[in-house]
Amino acid sequence: MSSTANDGSITGIRSQVSDRRHTAILHHSPNPLSRRQFLQTAIAGSSGLALSGCGWTLAEVRPVQGKTGAANELYIYTWSNYIDADLLREFTAQTGIRVIADTFDANEMMLATLQAGKGAAYSIVYPSDYSVAKMLELKLLKELEESKIAGLENILPKFRASVHDPGNRHHVPISWGTTGLIYNSDKINPPPEDWDYLWKNQEKLSGRITLLNDTREVFGATLRSLGYSYNSTNPNEIREAFEKLKVLKPAIASFTTDAWRDQLLAGDLVMAMGFSIDGVLVAQQNPKIKYVVPKSGTSLWSDAMVIPKNAPNQDAAYAWINYMLQPAVASQVTERLFFATPNKAAFDQLPAPVRNNEALFPPDSILQNSQGIVPLPRAAEALYEKYWTILTSS
Amino acid sequence: MSQAAIENRTFTTADTEFDVELRKVSKIYNHEPVVRGIDLTIRRGEFFSILGPSGCGKTTTLRLVAGFETPSSGEVLIRGQSVNRVPPYRRPVNTVFQSYALFSHLTVWENVAFGLRLKKQNKAEVQSQVDQALKLVKMDGFAKRFPTQLSGGQQQRVALARALINRPAVLLLDEPLGALDLKLRKEMQVELSTLHQELGLTFVMVTHDQEEAMSLSDRIAVMNQGNIEQIDSPERIYEHPKTPFVADFIGDTNLFYGKIEGFSANALWLITDNGLKMKAKPSNSGDSLTSGSVVVSVRPEKIRISRSPFEHEANAFEGRLRTVMYLGTHVHYGVELASGDRLTVMQPCLSDDLPGEDTPLYLLWDVNDCLALPMTGQ
Amino acid sequence: MTSPPAPSETSSKSLPQWLEPIALLAPAGIWLGLLLVIPTLLIFQLSLVPGIRPGQVVNPSGLENYLQIFQAIEIKPATATEPAVTSFVYLKVIWRSLSFAIGTTFMCLLLGFPVAYFIAITAPKNWRNLLLVGFVLPLWTSSLLRSYAWITILRPTGVLNSILTAVGLPALNLLNRPPAVYIGMTYSLLPYMVLILYASLEKLDRRLLEAAADLGATPIQAFWKVTVPQVLPGIAAGSLLVFITSIGDFVDPELLGGASSMTLARLIYNQFLGASQNWGFGSALSMIVVLAVSISIALLLKYGDRSSANL
Repeated sequence: MSSTANDGSITGIRSQVSDRRHTAILHHSPNPLSRRQFLQTAIAGSSGLALSGCGWTLAEVRPVQGKTGAANELYIYTWSNYIDADLLREFTAQTGIRVIADTFDANEMMLATLQAGKGAAYSIVYPSDYSVAKMLELKLLKELEESKIAGLENILPKFRASVHDPGNRHHVPISWGTTGLIYNSDKINPPPEDWDYLWKNQEKLSGRITLLNDTREVFGATLRSLGYSYNSTNPNEIREAFEKLKVLKPAIASFTTDAWRDQLLAGDLVMAMGFSIDGVLVAQQNPKIKYVVPKSGTSLWSDAMVIPKNAPNQDAAYAWINYMLQPAVASQVTERLFFATPNKAAFDQLPAPVRNNEALFPPDSILQNSQGIVPLPRAAEALYEKYWTILTSS
Repeated sequence: MSQAAIENRTFTTADTEFDVELRKVSKIYNHEPVVRGIDLTIRRGEFFSILGPSGCGKTTTLRLVAGFETPSSGEVLIRGQSVNRVPPYRRPVNTVFQSYALFSHLTVWENVAFGLRLKKQNKAEVQSQVDQALKLVKMDGFAKRFPTQLSGGQQQRVALARALINRPAVLLLDEPLGALDLKLRKEMQVELSTLHQELGLTFVMVTHDQEEAMSLSDRIAVMNQGNIEQIDSPERIYEHPKTPFVADFIGDTNLFYGKIEGFSANALWLITDNGLKMKAKPSNSGDSLTSGSVVVSVRPEKIRISRSPFEHEANAFEGRLRTVMYLGTHVHYGVELASGDRLTVMQPCLSDDLPGEDTPLYLLWDVNDCLALPMTGQ
Repeated sequence: MTSPPAPSETSSKSLPQWLEPIALLAPAGIWLGLLLVIPTLLIFQLSLVPGIRPGQVVNPSGLENYLQIFQAIEIKPATATEPAVTSFVYLKVIWRSLSFAIGTTFMCLLLGFPVAYFIAITAPKNWRNLLLVGFVLPLWTSSLLRSYAWITILRPTGVLNSILTAVGLPALNLLNRPPAVYIGMTYSLLPYMVLILYASLEKLDRRLLEAAADLGATPIQAFWKVTVPQVLPGIAAGSLLVFITSIGDFVDPELLGGASSMTLARLIYNQFLGASQNWGFGSALSMIVVLAVSISIALLLKYGDRSSANL
């Protein structure tokens, strides 16, 4: 440590100094926190935080008190098929209210967006029928005051008794349609008549067909082709449908709700399963493409307008509903945008070619065999889910 | 010296076998000649140095022998075989790089074993040879260390071992001691010399340090701007430089430029540009000095200095002391002659009594110490 | 010789020394804490609630969500004669995501190394920046656009097949199958790999290669015994970056993969935004991804920067 020799005095002092510096470091370390300590504390803290049952509600849509928004602005959330510039302009001309429209292309996405916080942003939303049921379950909807609505009597009776929303207390139907096959008539001749066409011509069609990315639609169509109900709850029947789909799976290019449009037009696909609203539109754009409703029956869907619980501008919302119920408006928009209207008065005003378009308005013979997809008990829904997951994940 | 070393070193002038030969080798980079048509032969077992200032082309020459460069013209031969087209991994030479170039991702052991493992020798063989090599360079305790954990001197020894273990015909050393401090350098010089004597290999070293070259080499090639000015033993290079550059580069010297006046037996008379008349001995450089310009070189330690005049017919001059540099073992005097020439005179320091500034002093040197050299374009 | 000040004197004169690091780290630390650490903790908390759906109260109760990942979906038959339908679906999906990621990493290494080597070592110095920029240019376009571009190229009637049939070769059926996913992901991530490898290769000491040649190594031997080990930190960093990015890639498998390309990312999406609405399970799956990425980063830290570790 310290040397005592006289000539070693320099080294003696030097070692004393270093001793003192060493102890100085021990007492007054510039780094009081070691890395290990930090990590341990952080992990302990975070785990504690995470595991404590704070009991907060997931994705709660909280009521926003007294928020009315600008009086002459209306925010709507809809499918892109249902609006165009003329429609909005007419409305503004009639009412003086400016419309700002956001679009979505999947019900699930719409639901997720609303739950993630935008529930208070829109005054009018366009869910599909089964989504109305979901939104009711989530307590997202406002009950409609019929006194404020004019023109409900024009709605066809079968759309006024909804399974999803008893008494139609929360929604106003705006369109309806079917699910069918859209095909390229150049490549497919003679035209397909039924769902079984897919299975019978699997080899030829391999890699050139798509199915909807929708559990109930796909399973429903398969059940139908086996002669069962679209809404079967029989485990054996569902299983049969699953096995049948497994057979078709290798030939399917992808499960998609609307990406087939470009590919069909380009010639990469020859047939797709799709909704009438998309199919008819494409058929209008390209005479080669045709939409057909399978003979043995299909699913009937309808879309509706609802007012969310926290709508910022309820008066404007009712004004919009009334506007859309006007027969003139409804028929013109049907003509322009090719979606079927549930409004009898509007239907009567349609020009003959549109009225007789079997793709838009299928004959009663087919409609008799068709059903809407209804919500099922939890166990059955779970079963469909499981099969669907296995189907799409393998 | 080992028996093998002695055998390796024996050569006769008649059938000398050259380990390395360069015949009219040039190297041109981007239209700039770096090596200009040099001729070089290196004998088996020699310690050969290539000496010169920075940029003279010595490293390029070494790289030409190693195979990292291809000559623009001329031939490189190793053990009599032309190797112009032979890549470095097929030449029987190994290099010790200036930066050591040790593989940082391998241990000392693995570095040294690198060359052997490429030849796929069996493990026991490799182990024993590596241990031997490490012992040879006194690094046997360091086998498991990584190069970055070693000091400069230690790295250099590992580099040596790595090269030597492959038993090359020629060992090339590129300024091997340049990065070491003075004391370490002197130690390593001794070690290099010892190694050379023990192993009897041919060593070719490139350096800019003339002391190093002088103390280690059997022969030195002095290079300047791509040309070889002289190849000789260290003594002859020092005592009998063939060009002013060599005279000036090796050791200190006093140079005078002048014109030849006349000849006498084994000597010539000249007048310097500043009017001094000197008697000089022509160097046997092969160039005939018949007339015209000449350069004369006088080494500082060969000049006698006195406070009283000398009686002599030639090379006796008077001047005044201008500077004194005391270096412990000897003294450098800066003396100014009447002609204006400044001379450096070196004397061993025998007494404390140093003359003061402006003291008149008398200088004298022998004809044989006054070398007349041809004026080469420098 | 004065002695250094005693400890007590020093501490009372200046601010506590830990204040400086905290002040410097605070902005980034708060940002990371709020936007990364806390959300991850929330997800972790969610993952501990089996089958939670939006609107329900969060009460961490168990690891069922995690167990579900490793179990098969099993559907018992109604009659005794039929076999049950069992499928280790989730493990299959995880495996598929891993294969895509590992395959893409491998392809990026295979294709990227020669390019990086060429730019760093073979190309003349004044061309280097130009070549690098040219190679990195695709990064300047949106990744979605790149995927759509590949759809255009790989379609049955797309650019690739037009060229092939024009030359007389058979048409390739690449789109909506796994090869298209590999192509799309490799293309998107190749520039990153090239950049990282280039940075490592540029620092390669050429004299080491000369030393290797001097010791008898042919160019190929020198490559494997010197270049690759020296560049290993760069290879590790590049590979891990590509791996981590491709594990979470959502777009390419979705657009290019077709019906049999369900990946972990899409599975998680389905849990949150699809029909199942099982946020608890989705959170558990997300934590698996977080785990995979964390392991990769730990590996990267350990092996990625050996040069500084050795110094």
